[in-house]
Amino acid sequence: MMRIERLGFTYSKNTVDECRVLEDISFHIQEGEFIGLIGSSGSGKTTLIKHLNGLLKADSGAVYFQGQNIYDKGYVLSKLRKEVGLVFQYPEHQLFGRTVLADVCFGPQNLGMSKEEAEKSARDCLELVGINESYYHTSPFELSGGQKRCVAIAGILAMQPKILVMDEPAAGLDPETKHMIFDLVEEIRKKRNIAIVLVSHHMEDVAYYANKVLVLHQGRLVLTGEPEEVFTKTEFLREIGMDVPQITSVTEKLMKEGFPMVNPAITVKEAEERILKVFRERGGAE
Amino acid sequence: MIRDITIGQYYAQDSSIHKLDSRTKLMGVLIYIVALFLVKNPWWYLLLFAVILALYRLAKVPYGYLLRGLKGIVILLIFTFVFRLISTPGIPVAQLWIFTITGEGITKAISLTVRIALMIIGASLLSYTSTPRELADGLEKAFGFLEKIHVPIHDMAVIVMIAFRFIPILIEETNVLMDAQASRGVEFEKCSVWKKCRNIFSLLLPLFLSAVRRSSDLAMAMEARGYSGEGETSRMYPLRYHSGDRIAYVLMFLFLAGVIVMRVVNIY
Ligand SMILES: Nc1ncnc2c1ncn2[C@@H]1O[C@H](COP(=O)(O)OP(=O)(O)OP(=O)(O)O)[C@@H](O)[C@H]1O
Ligand SMILES: [Mg+2]
Repeated sequence: MMRIERLGFTYSKNTVDECRVLEDISFHIQEGEFIGLIGSSGSGKTTLIKHLNGLLKADSGAVYFQGQNIYDKGYVLSKLRKEVGLVFQYPEHQLFGRTVLADVCFGPQNLGMSKEEAEKSARDCLELVGINESYYHTSPFELSGGQKRCVAIAGILAMQPKILVMDEPAAGLDPETKHMIFDLVEEIRKKRNIAIVLVSHHMEDVAYYANKVLVLHQGRLVLTGEPEEVFTKTEFLREIGMDVPQITSVTEKLMKEGFPMVNPAITVKEAEERILKVFRERGGAE
Repeated sequence: MIRDITIGQYYAQDSSIHKLDSRTKLMGVLIYIVALFLVKNPWWYLLLFAVILALYRLAKVPYGYLLRGLKGIVILLIFTFVFRLISTPGIPVAQLWIFTITGEGITKAISLTVRIALMIIGASLLSYTSTPRELADGLEKAFGFLEKIHVPIHDMAVIVMIAFRFIPILIEETNVLMDAQASRGVEFEKCSVWKKCRNIFSLLLPLFLSAVRRSSDLAMAMEARGYSGEGETSRMYPLRYHSGDRIAYVLMFLFLAGVIVMRVVNIY
């Protein structure tokens, strides 16, 4: 659906504080994929995803959406922005509507839905993220941080994008809300077959939800693959200052102590199954 | 577009002018302006212009920046010129419709316009070579004597400082908001002027709200750290005169004395 080819980007080009942030990045996003984008602070994750809906223009390379180069002359970027929904880091700073409902309606209305359609879409999405109807007519600034974030996510979902990009949606949310949002996103992905790009510092979440992981380090993609492949390269990840899911560390240690496993597990469920299996086999043998 | 606004005018360089104490530079600008008002013969403006050119060179600020400060007041300059031209009594040299242009009018118009332009160019040099913080500190020190008669100079200086501090924050906030709105279908670049105005207007309300929010946060943070506005606060970078400042003061007063002598003796 989307293809990024040899993308390179420099902030403040041609000035004294020129700073090369992205270098030679290529990957693609397909329908129904759940991509986890990880990398240490300052590795360029936010910069990279701002290219996906054309907020930033790469100075080398190209981005193809449904076969068309988005940097071509005459390409309408606002169309792209409807299809690629971007939830920013700290989205609560980006609410601007007078009421919660108006804020969520803003996107769909701008993109050509009629008022009624937009409102319907907005109400559906607010309900999905668990914002109670009693809040619809209050100012978004009066909500709690977590609620604001939910409203911001609803604002993007209401545009019904084909690719949903989320920059650290879970930072600062309580575990329950966080899982609710992730489960919700997962559900929408399955139902509408959209692609999700999740930027996160929380390896457990990425390991649990993603089915493809991209690792960014100093502006380069250093590792791509399925979560099992990526997270079992524990040494490499630690070398570039990244963490692995806790359960991976634990099972890795178990393996070192001689526990019979082929690979470290990356989710708790997987670890549980494997460990139980070993014990069952042992039990059977005795 | 609005994204590229640079309001902080500071032009970072490592020059002897940049190193001067901001009080010295403030005094310099004052003297320069006084000098502009003292000279009578328009030809002397050439000399004063040469002085400012030399100072820009010394400060390593490119000459392109000379005109930058003038851009904002172009209209004012044109008005000054035209009104002086047509409203000065004297020997008529030309007649335009109902307006009479006089010989005196021409000289007066030129000298007044040049005077204003040079004033701005001089003041711009001050803002290119001192950071807002230095300027606020310098102003506070320079007007410190007014505290004696209960003018709250210290508070004013803090207010000015914070106002300067907020400019980059607001620019950043504007960028974030524009990104957020663009992601939700607002066109900022390719659209009609009318649409552009409306879009910019829709930025203003949230921007204003966030500015209010930010400032109340800041006030709370300052109070939490015990700031009360009373009493003497120490400084991170105390203002101190160096040898360069002494030299500058001597040169400045020599220059002023020269201009005064010329004026009194009335040679030219
Ligand atoms: N507006 C900007 N102007 C100049 N440089 C910038 C700008 N925004 C980011 N950078 C630089 O680009 C680099 C990458 O920043 P980016 O925000 O993409 O990091 P990130 O991977 O999202 O980090 P984090 O995990 O902390 O969000 C950083 O070194 C940063 O200093
Ligand atoms: Mg980021």
